[in-house]
Amino acid sequence: MATGDGTLLARMRGVTRVYRRGGQDLRVLDGLDLDVERGDFLALMGPSGSGKSTILNLLGGLDRPDAGTIDVEGTEITGLSSDALAAWRARHVGFVFQAFNLIPVLTALENVELPLLLTPLSRAKRREHAQYALEIVGLKDRMDHRPKQLSGGQEQRVAIARAIATDPTMVLADEPTGDLDRASADAVLDILTRLVSEHGKTVAMVTHDPAAAKCAKRLLHLEKGVLVEQGTTHGA
Amino acid sequence: MRLVPLRYTVRSLVVRWSPSLFSALGIGLTVAVLGGVLALREGFRSLLAETGSDDVVVYLRPGAQSEGESIVRHPQDTNVLKARPEVVVEGNVPLAAAESYLGLKLPRTDGSGTTIVTVRGVEIPVSMRIQGPKWRLVEGKEPRPGSDEVVVGRPLTTRIVGCKVGETLTFNVTPFKVVGVFVHDGAYASEIWGDVDRICAALERPFRQRLVAKVKEGTDVAALEKQLESDKQVPVKAQTERAYFRAQTTALGNVLQFLAGILTTLMGAAAVLGAVNTMLAAVGARTREVGILMSIGYRRFPVFFCFLVEAAAIGLVGGVLGAVLVLPFNGLQTSTTNWNTFTEIAFAFRVTPTILATSVVVAVVLGLLGGAVPAWRASRLVPTAALRRL
Repeated sequence: MATGDGTLLARMRGVTRVYRRGGQDLRVLDGLDLDVERGDFLALMGPSGSGKSTILNLLGGLDRPDAGTIDVEGTEITGLSSDALAAWRARHVGFVFQAFNLIPVLTALENVELPLLLTPLSRAKRREHAQYALEIVGLKDRMDHRPKQLSGGQEQRVAIARAIATDPTMVLADEPTGDLDRASADAVLDILTRLVSEHGKTVAMVTHDPAAAKCAKRLLHLEKGVLVEQGTTHGA
Repeated sequence: MRLVPLRYTVRSLVVRWSPSLFSALGIGLTVAVLGGVLALREGFRSLLAETGSDDVVVYLRPGAQSEGESIVRHPQDTNVLKARPEVVVEGNVPLAAAESYLGLKLPRTDGSGTTIVTVRGVEIPVSMRIQGPKWRLVEGKEPRPGSDEVVVGRPLTTRIVGCKVGETLTFNVTPFKVVGVFVHDGAYASEIWGDVDRICAALERPFRQRLVAKVKEGTDVAALEKQLESDKQVPVKAQTERAYFRAQTTALGNVLQFLAGILTTLMGAAAVLGAVNTMLAAVGARTREVGILMSIGYRRFPVFFCFLVEAAAIGLVGGVLGAVLVLPFNGLQTSTTNWNTFTEIAFAFRVTPTILATSVVVAVVLGLLGGAVPAWRASRLVPTAALRRL
């Protein structure tokens, strides 16, 4: 079922990921297949430890599968060296984490500017991009604040600004509303929805929150390493 | 390759200022000790090497390394040497003096036993005139030629018993009255000077140890040295006073350099361990931040470099602290035994810009050594594992 613009952005085939815990092999993903279309907004749900975050990490090149292939926009990322994979991440992926993960000693603007420093943009252009990203999340007036001076919701919005500052191919959000109150969570979900509908971004989100899942166009349920398509939602 | 912004490094250091400062202090103390010993060596070296004159020539027995080992026959050889063409003559008097030299054991004023002090027999007033403005009488009067009177270098007045004006020093069994105190901007500052004939008589020495002379401008001392070494009449070893003193610094200079090396190695090892500890703690506390940087797209080397710069900054702060600690020693007077002559010599610590720069460079190197392993560990972190760290 087409929930994006019909063109394939990412293809995972036969992906297996095994973790070694306490001397035992734990097969979190076992031959998983997943296609993500450009402009899609998909939500991954499932019980804790089912491998939802692992899928995001593999899709974003933060982790490597033990078997299988991951192709994003024609690049087979599983074969890239760690440095090439880092460079690839810088160009194509924006991460949003449950714990916000801002650098505490940098201001909101400097945090958003961090990924832009990896681009060939001039200082002025970097600043312009960072300010625009903060404007999108509604925090341009707080750009000189450090994370400690922001609320949880504001921190997460800064994290989203950082994730989209370089205009990445996809935004991967791992429980982005997990640490937020309802109002803040709704504001974050609103931003993610607008990223898809107004800016044409592709968003993949792990969540336990049914309200968050409703915002997605496509809902996938992961159980015991197997993905089950739950169909489209009312969102986006 | 894009690096992690420097402001991140600097601010992280400021946030963790307490452990960073203690590490810097450890490094600072190490390089302060290094700087102190080097300043000691420099003070000793400069006292002897830099204050010697190029227009004063010292004539010794061929093969002698110092005047203590030299014998020049008197008066036959000394008279021949005084008549040499290179010697400056002022009003029919050659500016050349046959001098004796002996290290005598004298008691210290602080009761800590005895030390060896140079007693120099000089020709009055020619020896003083050869030294020119470097030699100055600051108290009392000059000894009269042929008298049992001596003048003493100012540092001795407080260090050695019987060295105050009006007091008496006994050499062998002959009492010599201290009639004056002098200062010398160089190697003779801690000596006792008296009439050479009287000193030699008292010490039962029928010879002289050296002839020292002011030479005419443009004298080729190197050629003179070659010529006089194989001179048939009076073979001697001739060298400028500066070259002579430089040769006198080798033994103690080498010991001080060795000491500086040993102390820096031992203390440096401790300081490096301190820096390793601090940087490991820094990496541990910021593991999640490393994960964030990696997830954003920063490669391993920028992460490694970021922590290495942080360690170098700790070293730099330590270096500056060390330099600040060693600076007050500049000019501080001390004394030790010159291992070439085994005589007491007083000199001042000399903290030069080169010593300060060396201290700072060594401090940065210690910081880098301490930071290398933690920085490498940071760069090898797995992003997903690093992000999970609380």
